Amino acid sequence: MEKERKGFWETIAFNRRNFIKLLVGGAVGTAVSPLPWKLTDDIAIWTQNWPWVPVPDAGEFSYAKTVCTLCPGGCGVKVRKTDNRPIKIEGRTDYPVNPGGICPLGAGGLQVLYNDNIRFPGPMKRVGPRGSGKFMDISWNEALKELAKRLAGLRRQGRPDAIVAVDGNPAGTTTSLLVQRFLKAVGSPNYERIPTAEDTYSMANWLTTGNKGPMAYDLENADFILSFGCGLIEGWGSPGRVLNAWGLWHSNPLARRVKIVQVEPRASNTASKADEWIAPLPGTETALALGLAHVIIREGLYHQGFVQGHAFGFTDWRSSDGKEHKGFKKLVLDNYSPEKVAQITGLKPSKIVSLARAFGRSRAPVALCGRGKGDLNGSLYEFMAIQCLNALKGNINQPGGVILSKPIPLSTWPEIQADSIAQKGLEKPRLDKAQTLQFPFTGSLINNLSEAILEKGKSPVDTLLIFSANPAFTLPDGGSFRKAMERIPYIVSFSPFKDDSALMADLILPDHTYLEKTEDIVWPRGLQYPLYALTKPVTSPLYNTRHNGDTLITLAKLVGGGPAASFPWSNYEQALRERVKGLFESGGGLTTYDQSAPAWKGFPSRRGVQSDYSSFEDMWKKLKSGGLWYYPAHDFGNWETIFETPSGAFEFASSRIELALNELSSRTYLGAALKEMGIRAKGDEVFVPHFEKGPVAEPESEYPLIMVPYTLINLSSTWAPNPPYLNKTLFDNQLRKDDSFVEINPQTASRYGLKQGDRIFIESPKGRIAVRVNLFEGAMPGVLFLPLGFGHRAYDAYERNKGANPNDIVNAGKDPISGHPVWWQTRVKILKA
Amino acid sequence: MMKEEKGKYKYGMVIDLDKCSGCGTCMVACASENNVSVRADESDKERSITWMQLFKITNGKPFPDTEVSYFPRPCMHCHHHTPCVSVCPATATRIDYNTGIVSQIYTRCIGCRYCQAACPYHARYFNWWDGYGLAKPFSKGLERALSPEVSVRMRGVVEKCSFCHHRLMSAKSKAYAEGRREIREDEYIPACAEACPTQAITFGDLNNPRHKVSQLIKSPRAFRLLERLGTEPKVYYLSSKSWVRKMADNYLPNQFQQVTKAMT
Amino acid sequence: MEQQMRSSGNSPKGGWLSTLIDLVLSYYARIISQPFQSGLVWFLGGLGGALFVGWILFPMALYSEQTQPINFSHAIHTMPDIGLDEPTELGRCLHCHSFRNDGTFAGIPKLETCMECHDDPESPLGETAEEKKFLKQYVANEKEVPWFSYYKQPDCVYFPHIAHVKMGKIDCRTCHGDHAKTDNLPLYKKNRLTKYSINIWGKHISGYKANTWDRMKMDDCAECHTKTGHEENNACFVCHK
Repeated sequence: MEKERKGFWETIAFNRRNFIKLLVGGAVGTAVSPLPWKLTDDIAIWTQNWPWVPVPDAGEFSYAKTVCTLCPGGCGVKVRKTDNRPIKIEGRTDYPVNPGGICPLGAGGLQVLYNDNIRFPGPMKRVGPRGSGKFMDISWNEALKELAKRLAGLRRQGRPDAIVAVDGNPAGTTTSLLVQRFLKAVGSPNYERIPTAEDTYSMANWLTTGNKGPMAYDLENADFILSFGCGLIEGWGSPGRVLNAWGLWHSNPLARRVKIVQVEPRASNTASKADEWIAPLPGTETALALGLAHVIIREGLYHQGFVQGHAFGFTDWRSSDGKEHKGFKKLVLDNYSPEKVAQITGLKPSKIVSLARAFGRSRAPVALCGRGKGDLNGSLYEFMAIQCLNALKGNINQPGGVILSKPIPLSTWPEIQADSIAQKGLEKPRLDKAQTLQFPFTGSLINNLSEAILEKGKSPVDTLLIFSANPAFTLPDGGSFRKAMERIPYIVSFSPFKDDSALMADLILPDHTYLEKTEDIVWPRGLQYPLYALTKPVTSPLYNTRHNGDTLITLAKLVGGGPAASFPWSNYEQALRERVKGLFESGGGLTTYDQSAPAWKGFPSRRGVQSDYSSFEDMWKKLKSGGLWYYPAHDFGNWETIFETPSGAFEFASSRIELALNELSSRTYLGAALKEMGIRAKGDEVFVPHFEKGPVAEPESEYPLIMVPYTLINLSSTWAPNPPYLNKTLFDNQLRKDDSFVEINPQTASRYGLKQGDRIFIESPKGRIAVRVNLFEGAMPGVLFLPLGFGHRAYDAYERNKGANPNDIVNAGKDPISGHPVWWQTRVKILKA
Repeated sequence: MMKEEKGKYKYGMVIDLDKCSGCGTCMVACASENNVSVRADESDKERSITWMQLFKITNGKPFPDTEVSYFPRPCMHCHHHTPCVSVCPATATRIDYNTGIVSQIYTRCIGCRYCQAACPYHARYFNWWDGYGLAKPFSKGLERALSPEVSVRMRGVVEKCSFCHHRLMSAKSKAYAEGRREIREDEYIPACAEACPTQAITFGDLNNPRHKVSQLIKSPRAFRLLERLGTEPKVYYLSSKSWVRKMADNYLPNQFQQVTKAMT
Repeated sequence: MEQQMRSSGNSPKGGWLSTLIDLVLSYYARIISQPFQSGLVWFLGGLGGALFVGWILFPMALYSEQTQPINFSHAIHTMPDIGLDEPTELGRCLHCHSFRNDGTFAGIPKLETCMECHDDPESPLGETAEEKKFLKQYVANEKEVPWFSYYKQPDCVYFPHIAHVKMGKIDCRTCHGDHAKTDNLPLYKKNRLTKYSINIWGKHISGYKANTWDRMKMDDCAECHTKTGHEENNACFVCHK
């Protein structure tokens, strides 16, 4: 009753009870408002849309056609774009090399373009110590002036030969020719190439057939393929082409026509997937080839017409000085019986005989030489021996055989204008002794160059220019070149990537990547018909980079004098266009391709190809848009005229070797000449392909095992950086965290008490590397197999310090005659880590 | 458990192991097509994401009779009692019997990883980290290659092969633009099949007898992985090699039959 | 009061239920009849406040508002005599909001499309202030107009316009309303949390949907698919990517 008498304000006072009422009212109100329900929903959706998860811009989809140049295979690719942004790389179906397919490296190409961490943003100058990767930005003008000043200075001092260029561009490409031309114009003879299988192919071809170009095989039309170590499905030749052929060969495995035999000491993918795998001891492939020749000759399985009518040195022969020499037939029959070869190679004699018979009885058998992907050189005598197998079957310049062609009819530029400084410089001897009497057939020998730099007191090289190459990483030389680089006062890298060699450079003049520029491909590796391809920029350059070709032209003009006069073009494209005129003048060739009629299919019967363009301008337009010119026909046979050897025939015994040896021995004596050329054989064997034990000198007692590097299709082992996506394709017994693995036969491993995953050191006289053990039955006992492509000291977290680089411990001797490194067998020992 | 229905299309894949070279192009093409993330360390196979995964097998014989071969393994898109679908508590993964494609909706996934445990083929992958965006320190610039056709995954969700179903949608849109309701056999092909340089992967509608896949699965070389589980995978393999076929674990010791010429 | 309770409690006629009802009624009667003394105002105050926050303040806070860079009149641009040479209204919609050859939908047109008509240097159709702004700021600088897209679905959604417009014969206004008749572009309202436009996320905060174009969430898609007999299109991978 007292309460009722209270005043109004007291009755509605804010007390505990009323506060609760307020809250209840609020709660009810909130519950019937959208706030809790909507907010819950929104928060749930918010968690699905984190602001840091990128939403890619969508736009109009389109494809830009171009050609892949991450390897010399030259596969046609199309880049999928949304508006102007490339988002994916796919294979082109309107391209004759790779009908639609592509390789993992090519598919991952965008990660080479887009990876900020491995690309130079523009021209740079070193600021930190060498190799520290500390650079500062400079302008293109400053950079070019600095280099031009240095080069002009060397020229003034009369030392143009102290300028050296290392060129990794495929031979014959316009950029490569511009590099060569630049070096010649400034007056340096020291132009170096990264040795590849192409070099050995060309030499073997030159000595046996007189053809200067690299080997080409009409694989798709062969019926028996005997591959000596070529990684047919692991990146050999043009991967898109060979893998496609592999698919064709296996389209009906239960009723197959083509037989594939792989010769290799390791159960590689090619060896496993081939019909037969032959595993000789590493480095004895030559003996096996000659053993097969022995059986083929002995059993009369060879092509009589070819061997009698168009071959030289098969039977005993007389040299220019009138001396009598034993021929290939006699030497092979004497020295390479299946039993003897079995002893050398570790194979069973019966296997050698049956393989020889299978090869000899096939219609179009072709024997292929090469090692893995072919990114590194091979052995000259081995390649010649394998070429002789093709000759025994007369499968030279035949459908399904070895194809001998003229070079692509590109125009040549006018001669350089060598000024007096250049003339004097060019007269100086090459630092690497290539193209001399000692190594008469080899264009350049970069392994000799590093020796020259390392042996003398002061480096004979002052300025090193590196183009599209990573010699500090890819050279199989036990790290010699890297050490040599440390002694070179000034290094300029033209690489778009922060690769191992660029990190040691003092000046960076970065190129565009292959997706940002126009460049040419001259005859994709191993293709049977001439093909000239042109890449097209699929995006405008992402960074402040310049085309190497343009950089060289500007540089030549800045140096002045002869170099300026030798580079009359205003840009790279002008120089390129001038060369292409020759294609038009040749009068034939196609710029389009129809998938329904594969180029190889009609190849054996097609006699000529009418051009599908009317004028040069028309052709240029089509070439620029489609990136393709090819001539898918061939003049087969012609054994009377095709061989450009001194004898005019296929040479089982090389008169060019004989001439070279004569010339060299006339200065000293024969024994010294043989030693200089690195030939261990004596007598008439020297002129014909023969087996020699490798140049390995270390005692077997100290280094009981052999280390053989191998290549993987899904791991870049050349200059091209490895796209991160390729790391996904590696197995965890190839790379695990930062360790790569060595493949060891379990039997060998148990001798050392090694288990799967154990960490070991592999040591050669050149050094040691740390790897883990992968027990693999497919590895030949006593041999250690290491993948090439790991162990970068540069790039980013995807590549740096991942795994070990077998090149670092390769103890390469010199291959006889060619002088190239013998990287495929190094004596090593195992140390437990 | 969803009731299995007969749908109009039933997309499936045939992988010819006799042709497969083990090059890994399918894996790279897949990752690139589907915005799959890439870590600095991809060697931890329990963490690395590979919708298409190559498995290397060997016949176990001593040198020199050793042979290796490869199983490319996409999602099998199991047609019967789809194991992942039946366990998903969030309905984030479903099978559409009208196409046969097993879907995975990232925005719906709660990251419980039950499906991962249920999948007999290890075809499902968990995002332990953000693939792009926060991963920037080591993948600077790579996000520029992302495709707008597939949404980018955030951490905490499961992802897997979708048979590139966005390509089916694009193919349909294109057909509609041209006034067609049906798409042609070659218009819808996943990225792996398209990129394969040996043409080892064939893709098509298993309900359509004219499609190449329907013919290929009748080959005596055809088999599937773990067929005895009864999940009816829609990915078939072809191999003429007995030791490869045995790896699929489909046979009791006395059941195995070699493929011979006579069977073709 | 104690007496009252006792007497009703002892009533022989009523059971315990009616007693309870009586009690509750009398309680509420007292509360309502004496709103101040009973504290009802406090309850109502809380209720009212919460409703105000939930229905008025919350939606205001949830959505950010932006004005389009240029006020574009769809009404003018869809007039039959505009010179587009398209007899139907749909045709006139599709003229600018076009399909590409691959069936994808171009969405908001690019400057290029605008320039089809606005590129005449003699009479670039720049009479109004908005047109002048368009010509000066964007056309002259060749800069795309940064339009806000009202109907942009989240990244996880794949929406093929062609399947709906061409094959489904659905009129544009079914989902977009009668946009073609508007002279002014509405404010662009974006949900601050989800970043979705209000046109996708629902015009009415209550979830009430008066028109088909009021909301475009997943259920709305599914509802229409089901209604039109396209239930098969409710599979996840039809709309999600």
